[in-house]
Amino acid sequence: MHDEIPIRKIIHVDMDAFFASVEQLDNPDLHGKPVAVGGSSDRGVVSAASYEARKFGVRSAMSSVVARKLCPDLIFVKSNFERYKEVSQKIRKIFLEYTDKVEPLSLDEAYLDVTENKKGYPSASLIAKEIRQKIFEQTGLTASAGISINKFIAKVASDINKPNGQKTIGPEEVLDFLENLDIRKFYGVGKVTQEKMYNLGIFTGKDLKNKSLEYLTETFGKSGAYYYYVVRGIHKSEVKPNRIRKSLGAERTFFENISSEIFMLERLQNIADEIERRLKKSKVAGKTITLKIKYSDFTLQTRSKTLPYFISDKALILEIVKELLFQEKVSNSVRLLGISLSNLNTEKKKTASKKETVSVQLSFDF
Amino acid sequence: MKFIVSSSYLLKQLQVLGGIINTSNTLAILDNFLFELDKDTLRVSASDLETTISAKLEVECDSNGSIAVPARLLLDILKTFPEQPLTFVVEENNTIEISSNHGKYALAYADGEEFPKAIEISSPSSTVIQSDILATAISKTIFASGNDDLRPVMSGVFFQFSTEGLTFVATDAHKLVKYTREDVKASEVADFIMPKKPLNLMKSILAGSEEDVLIEYNESNAKFVFDNVELVCRLIDGKYPNYEAVIPKENPNKLTIDRSQFLSSVKRVSIFSNKTTHQIRLKIAGAELNVSAEDIDYSNKAEERLTCSYQGDDMQIGFNSRFLTEMLANLTSDEVSLEMSLPNRAGILTPADGLDEGEQIIMLVMPVMLNN
Repeated sequence: MHDEIPIRKIIHVDMDAFFASVEQLDNPDLHGKPVAVGGSSDRGVVSAASYEARKFGVRSAMSSVVARKLCPDLIFVKSNFERYKEVSQKIRKIFLEYTDKVEPLSLDEAYLDVTENKKGYPSASLIAKEIRQKIFEQTGLTASAGISINKFIAKVASDINKPNGQKTIGPEEVLDFLENLDIRKFYGVGKVTQEKMYNLGIFTGKDLKNKSLEYLTETFGKSGAYYYYVVRGIHKSEVKPNRIRKSLGAERTFFENISSEIFMLERLQNIADEIERRLKKSKVAGKTITLKIKYSDFTLQTRSKTLPYFISDKALILEIVKELLFQEKVSNSVRLLGISLSNLNTEKKKTASKKETVSVQLSFDF
Repeated sequence: MKFIVSSSYLLKQLQVLGGIINTSNTLAILDNFLFELDKDTLRVSASDLETTISAKLEVECDSNGSIAVPARLLLDILKTFPEQPLTFVVEENNTIEISSNHGKYALAYADGEEFPKAIEISSPSSTVIQSDILATAISKTIFASGNDDLRPVMSGVFFQFSTEGLTFVATDAHKLVKYTREDVKASEVADFIMPKKPLNLMKSILAGSEEDVLIEYNESNAKFVFDNVELVCRLIDGKYPNYEAVIPKENPNKLTIDRSQFLSSVKRVSIFSNKTTHQIRLKIAGAELNVSAEDIDYSNKAEERLTCSYQGDDMQIGFNSRFLTEMLANLTSDEVSLEMSLPNRAGILTPADGLDEGEQIIMLVMPVMLNN
C-alpha cells in the first residue's frame, strides 16, 4: 500500500554516557569510577552518569541526594558544556563526511540519512560501523548506533546493543521487530501513556497493532495516529538537516523551596533576563509564554498564554509571566521555576515562503 | 425633591445621553445619570470621564437638588412605558420612587456630589456652525479614521478652522478623507483633534437639524452647545500628520464613472477576493474598466467590465475592495472620478457632481501592490 516510498536507510547515532565519558577522558583519575555530571549539592540533579555509576542504578535527571544514596562512592563533576559542544562538533564533522542529511537531536545524538551517501556505500550497517570507529579514533569516546528504514526504528534500535554496539533492523524484519517490541520502548511513550496503554491491555507492538485507527485517535488524540502508523513501520518524518528552533526556555532550581509569590517574582526576573539574552542572541521572538512550576513534591504544572503577536522584550514577558503566576494560587512550596517561549517566529518563515501570492497594502508616508 | 415629567420625552433624551456611558466602568458612579433639579429645569448628565454630555429638560417641579440615578435600570423601565406622566419623588431612605399609571418603582440613588464635574473650558475660542453641516462633516470623514492605539492622533477627526473656511480630515494611513467648507468661516486660525466617540454621538443627534452649534475650544478641550444639549470632551493630544504632503499633485490618469455602477461592481467582484487581503484589481484601457479579483487558495475568480471615460495611459492598480466600497458608499454623487498616477501611488476619489456651494470632498486611497 505504501510501497511507493522508496526504502530509506537511517542511522541513529547515540554517544554512550556522553557527558560522563568526556569527563573521564579529560581526567584519567575518573576512569573506571562511578561519575555523575551535575550539581552535588542537596538540590542538584544528575545530568549524566557514567556506566560505572549506572550499575548502581544512577540515572540522569535523578536528584543528587538519591544518586548518592544508591552509590555512596559517586564522584560528582561540574558540567562543562563548552567542552561537550566542542567534542560534539568533532563528531558532527565525521557525520558530514558521509552525508549532509544530519539531524542533531542534542549534543550527543543525531539522525543520519545515508540512503544516498557521499562514499557510495550500499551498506548502512558498514557506514555505522565506520562512523563509530572514527569517533573512537578521533575522540576516544564510544558510540552506539541503530540502523533501519525510518527514524523511529533506528532510534529504538540504537538502544539494543548499547554501549559500544550497533543493531540493524532490515526492511524484512521491521514488522516482526515492532510486534515484539515492548510498548515502553516506543519513542514517545512515557510513563503516563505507558500506564494508559497497560490499562487498555496494550503491552507490546502486537497489542497496539490490533487497535483501530479510530480507537487510537479517540483514546490518545493526535498521537493515536502516530502510534497506529509507527507500529506498521510507517514513519515518514525526514532527517532534517536544519532543525529549526521551536522553543526557547530557561529554568532554575532553588536552594530552598519557596512559597511566597513575591520571592518567586524576583527569581522569575532573573530567568527572564536569561531568556531575553538568549532571544536576542538567536534573534527570535515568540507568541506563547509558558510558566513551568515544579513543586517540592516534584509534581509539575505548566501554565501558558498565547499572544496575537511576537514578543522578545523582558518587560513584556514578565508581564505575562506575572499574570500566569497569579492566575491560580501555587498549591505547595516551589522547587523550580521556568519560563519558555514557543510559537517562535522561526516557524513562520516556513509558511511564508510557501505562499507565493504577496500583496502589500501600502500606507501614506506620514 | 419631586418632579413630574413625560415618560417618552425623558426616555428620548436619556437614550441620547446614555450613548456615552461605557458598558463597564471602573468608577461605579459613571453607571449613573446625574439629575440636577433647579425649579422647573431638570439637567441630566452622563459621562465617561473623557466626555460629559448633558441636556436640559423642562419638568414640573418646585424644589432643588442633585442625585445620581442608575442609568441601566432607569432606561430599562422607561422603555416599557407607553406615553404618560411620571412622578419622581426622592424618599428619605436614599431611594427615588417613580410612580406611573401602573404602579411604583424604587431605585437606590447616590449623592450627586460624587458625580465628576464637567471640565470648565478656560479662555476658549469659539465658532458657530449649522447642525447639519457639522453632521455631514462628521459622517463624511469619521469612517476613514483609524483604530491604532499606537497612533492615537489618527483615531480621531482633525478639525482645522481658519478665516478661509473649515476643514475636517480623517485617516488611518491607508485611506484619507478631507472635507472642506468654504462657506463657513472661523474668526481665527485653530485646529484640534476630536475623539471618535463624542463625534458619533453628535452625528446622530445633529443630522437634519438647521439649528446652530456653538463650538468652544482651547488646546485641551472642546465644548459643543446646541438645542438643550451641551457636550464637553477632552481632545486627543498630539500632532496630526501632515496630510497635505501625501495628496499627489500630478495625476495624469483620470477615470470618470457612474458611482453606483462602480460600487455594485466592486461589491460583487470582491466576494471572490482573498478573504484576508480583500484585494481587487482595476485594469483600465481605452474606455473600458476591468474589475477583477482572485482567491488563489480556493480557485475563486471574478471579472467584470464597465464602460467609463478615461484619459491617460493604460494601467493596472490594486486596491483593498473594502476601502473602495466604504468610500464609494459614503459619497452621494451620480458620478465619481478617480485620479491616479502610478500603481504604487494614492488614488484620488472625488464626486463629480452634487456638492453644495463651497463644499469640497477629497478621498485618498493607497493601493495594494500587485505581485505581477
